[in-house]
Amino acid sequence: MRARRTIDLFARGDERPSVRLEQSLPTRGHERASRAGERLPRPAAPQPQVARGNGIPPPAGGAARAAPTELWLGLHLAGAAGQCAPQGLQRLAMRALRFTPRVSLVPPDGLLLEVHASLRLFGGVEGLQHALRRECADLAIAGSLAFAPTPLAALAAARGECVLVLQDAARLIGSLAPLPLRVLRWPQEVLDRLASIGVRTIGQVLRLPRAGFAQRFGATRLADLDRLTGRAPDPRERFEAPVRFRCRRELPCESASHGQLTAALAPLIEALGRFLEARQCGVLALECRLWHRHAEPTRCVLRLVDPLADAARLTELLGERLRMLTLPEPAHTCELRAGEPVPRALCSSGLWQSGEHGGLPEARGSAFIERLRARLGPEAVQGLAVVPDHRPEAAWRVTEPGACAPSAIASGDFAAARPLWLLPVPRPLRQRGGLPRHRGALRLESEPERIETGWWDGHDIERDYYEAVDVYGRRLWLFRERAAPHRWFLQGVFA
Amino acid sequence: MSADPPGCGAIPSDPPHGGAARLEDLLAHPLLWRAGHAARQPVWSSGFARLDEALPGGGWPRSGLIEVLPVRFGVGELKLLLPALAALTTRSEARWSAWVAPPLSPFTPALVAAGIDLSRLLIVRAQDKECLWALEQALGSGACDSGLAWARHALPRQIRRLHLAAQRGSALGVLFRPRASAREASAAMLRLVVEPLERGVRVTLLKSRGGARGALDLTWGGTYPGAGGCP
Repeated sequence: MRARRTIDLFARGDERPSVRLEQSLPTRGHERASRAGERLPRPAAPQPQVARGNGIPPPAGGAARAAPTELWLGLHLAGAAGQCAPQGLQRLAMRALRFTPRVSLVPPDGLLLEVHASLRLFGGVEGLQHALRRECADLAIAGSLAFAPTPLAALAAARGECVLVLQDAARLIGSLAPLPLRVLRWPQEVLDRLASIGVRTIGQVLRLPRAGFAQRFGATRLADLDRLTGRAPDPRERFEAPVRFRCRRELPCESASHGQLTAALAPLIEALGRFLEARQCGVLALECRLWHRHAEPTRCVLRLVDPLADAARLTELLGERLRMLTLPEPAHTCELRAGEPVPRALCSSGLWQSGEHGGLPEARGSAFIERLRARLGPEAVQGLAVVPDHRPEAAWRVTEPGACAPSAIASGDFAAARPLWLLPVPRPLRQRGGLPRHRGALRLESEPERIETGWWDGHDIERDYYEAVDVYGRRLWLFRERAAPHRWFLQGVFA
Repeated sequence: MSADPPGCGAIPSDPPHGGAARLEDLLAHPLLWRAGHAARQPVWSSGFARLDEALPGGGWPRSGLIEVLPVRFGVGELKLLLPALAALTTRSEARWSAWVAPPLSPFTPALVAAGIDLSRLLIVRAQDKECLWALEQALGSGACDSGLAWARHALPRQIRRLHLAAQRGSALGVLFRPRASAREASAAMLRLVVEPLERGVRVTLLKSRGGARGALDLTWGGTYPGAGGCP
């Protein structure tokens, strides 16, 4: 067996498939089938074969055939038709890559592993079964397993919850025969028609005449059966785990100084930059971990607005983040972990530098905003916008910088002057003789302006606004509540 | 600075008649700096004719740091700058105008009424010690036309750094500090004290590199804050 497998993997197809056919044909089911005359399954004609050892799908027209010594592990996730299935399947596939590089997803609830080469390392079929069940339990996924020489057979047996452990291709058809037809996932209409002629199991359908079956139920169903029994090749697309950047480096000496840490991180960031350049991708999240001798590792996470791949800017932003960090003790190792690479729009740079005549101010502007945000926090840099509302508290809001459209409010829209500064919350003022005081007597200057609005959203106000001058000569904006007890409040400052 | 204006090349060996006029021409050479005269530098008009006359070069400097020392917060120091800020933000190639650590919320309807384009305005919230860093970043990045900061404490060397950053990024930096800090040394190009008047402010130029010192009274025109009319 071992010698033949090496041939399969490295020799490009020649004599091998015919050997395999002769070996696998005399099965129990097939004997019965041949007794009944021209029966399933028999290939239409010998086809030129291409051995697939490297997982590259064969070109169209050329046929690929499953190697005779393949052993497929089919895994069916129970109750996985739900919404969390894709993530569960993905995560299980990532873990399954530990057992074999040939892992295929069969959405929504199937997973296939080619494990022939891994049997010995993981303790045979039992060892593998055990290990995979443990992975399932780890992810809280319930599933059933089956081993078979063809992928479809393994999957069908797993779906039928048939405990099939079959390494020998010769006994395949016989073992599949009792399985119900629904495990093939054919359309219900086809199953109903088959049931009406008394065909309910795989064994029964394999006994039907090939030509008639293809005519009545379609050539694709026949091809399914051929793939099930290993008569036709069944190439499966490999699952590729998403690639992420992760790199670790020991510092030349234990250090807590910002300069030494950034110097040690610089080569890692450069490597990340090259990694991203090669894939034309950028990162949205970057994590830097610093290991200490005793304390828990310090984590420093950088989140970005746009996918970024420029090493210089990443160094700068991460440097700002590190500057804000207080380390419990000196670090001896640093590690850089990047989030998933995100496709990045590559833009051509302008002829003019920003700031020059004709240059775009926006590019540099966003870099500067990101630097401020890296150090002060994402909420620290904001733009302002006007909201058309008469209530002073509701007449403005914060926005993304530059997001505010040019305002349509003209200067004549207000009946009276508005202050340049607004207190976050109106401050109650002390009174003497019904007049407000704020660090001394206040002199009311203007006629009252009544603002009475907002009844529709529960924040209604009824106020009379005045301008007042305090003892220092500042102009303040006050209001008096119309409702009892007629309190005075300070709300703004004309600067 | 590098391009010679016409007629200011090499000194002719044989001075013709009309020597006084020739002397004025020679003294107008951009590389020649005379103490007591305004150094030639691009400026933004302040929007007040009397203030423009008093300021060196005829307005606020386009690149450099100025210090505004109001006797109290809110006596009219911001209104003094609004006409210039409005002109800066509504230019066709306007850059950002960053306001670092404002003590209260700027009230947007009043800013719009004063003619400021809000889409060029950045509000940066920063603690006291980060305030000067943020202002230096804003001024030195080349992405801002103007940077305003309200700082409580600033050392002379920090002010010098801010001034250099403003020159590097060709931005107008404005540092608002309490009146009491007028005693400290400062590298700012201009230092002015703002006191309130009945309908205006009294501006006292404490330091004016290449300009006149002294006080002048400005009156607000109209009823609008920031509708900076000329007296």
